[in-house]
Amino acid sequence: MRVVKNILSQLHTFVLWLLASALIWGWVFTIVTDTSPEKKVTVYCHVPTMADTALAAALEEDMPQGLRMIQVHTFDYVMFGKDLFDRGDIFIVPASEDPAFVQDLLPVEGEGGTKVYDAATGEGVAVDYIHYGDEDYYMYLGSGSVHLEDGAALAVARTLLEME
Amino acid sequence: MNGEIRELYTDADMARMEQRIKTMRTVLWALALGALGVCAALTARTGTLNAQRMELAVIAVSTLAGWLVIYGCIFVLTPARRELAHAVMLRSEEREEVRGALTVTGERVAIRHSITARRAEACMDDGTTRRLMVCESRAGAMAAADPAAVYVCHGYVAAYEVKTCGS
Repeated sequence: MRVVKNILSQLHTFVLWLLASALIWGWVFTIVTDTSPEKKVTVYCHVPTMADTALAAALEEDMPQGLRMIQVHTFDYVMFGKDLFDRGDIFIVPASEDPAFVQDLLPVEGEGGTKVYDAATGEGVAVDYIHYGDEDYYMYLGSGSVHLEDGAALAVARTLLEME
Repeated sequence: MNGEIRELYTDADMARMEQRIKTMRTVLWALALGALGVCAALTARTGTLNAQRMELAVIAVSTLAGWLVIYGCIFVLTPARRELAHAVMLRSEEREEVRGALTVTGERVAIRHSITARRAEACMDDGTTRRLMVCESRAGAMAAADPAAVYVCHGYVAAYEVKTCGS
């Protein structure tokens, strides 16, 4: 009873510590789970839903040398900032994507986007992780990627293309 | 008619209080550093798949350990330090003698924010009454000794005189 009374008398301190703890460790984990663009390859997928963490972990199993991590995020072109666009290494976008957005992207192989999902057959790459919408999807490399020269972006794209 | 003067806080009491504070400080430091070590170990084991789980675990460990340390500091360590400071003050500062019958009342007051004291009334030999305070942890022993006089420091009883055989 006395302990409860004591705690209630200092409730603000205990709540403040809870918030401080969450903020401090949240910041620490942001640092731990992120790194500079030179040490990671970032994949952006414009899809309804996906298992981003599981896909990143699967891609990291065959990670090119020199990289520390692979990040996978869903995105929406409308919500996408220019800075993130410049930092992205690989993009998976639907056929209906805004042409103005797609024209700034680079092909993985040959010309145009590499088809990664066929809506007619329902077949595509990494379908265990990526839940595609009801249209065809294409893969591109980011024109601002820092991994075009070292080939890491292309290597990860190829690993992704080989995933069932 | 002088009897034996008993300090409210003896040398042994002071040593015990100092030791208790040292032990508590060590325990709280160990708890804080232990929790920090656990958090660091969990952070080091963080990977892509378990990052969210690890973050939650680290926040839980750090919050719970922090709460224990905060509770220990506010409600255990600080009161003990305040009582020690109070005892040092009672033993070192100038005292005045109050001779007469002393009655410890049931009224409790908080002094120095966290030390509980009991009010006492001394009916002095000249017929006047003095209102005094005595730390609760010592009030029982002092009242049982039926002191003939008390020695007061800033209104607090610092020592008392008990009648001895032959006095």
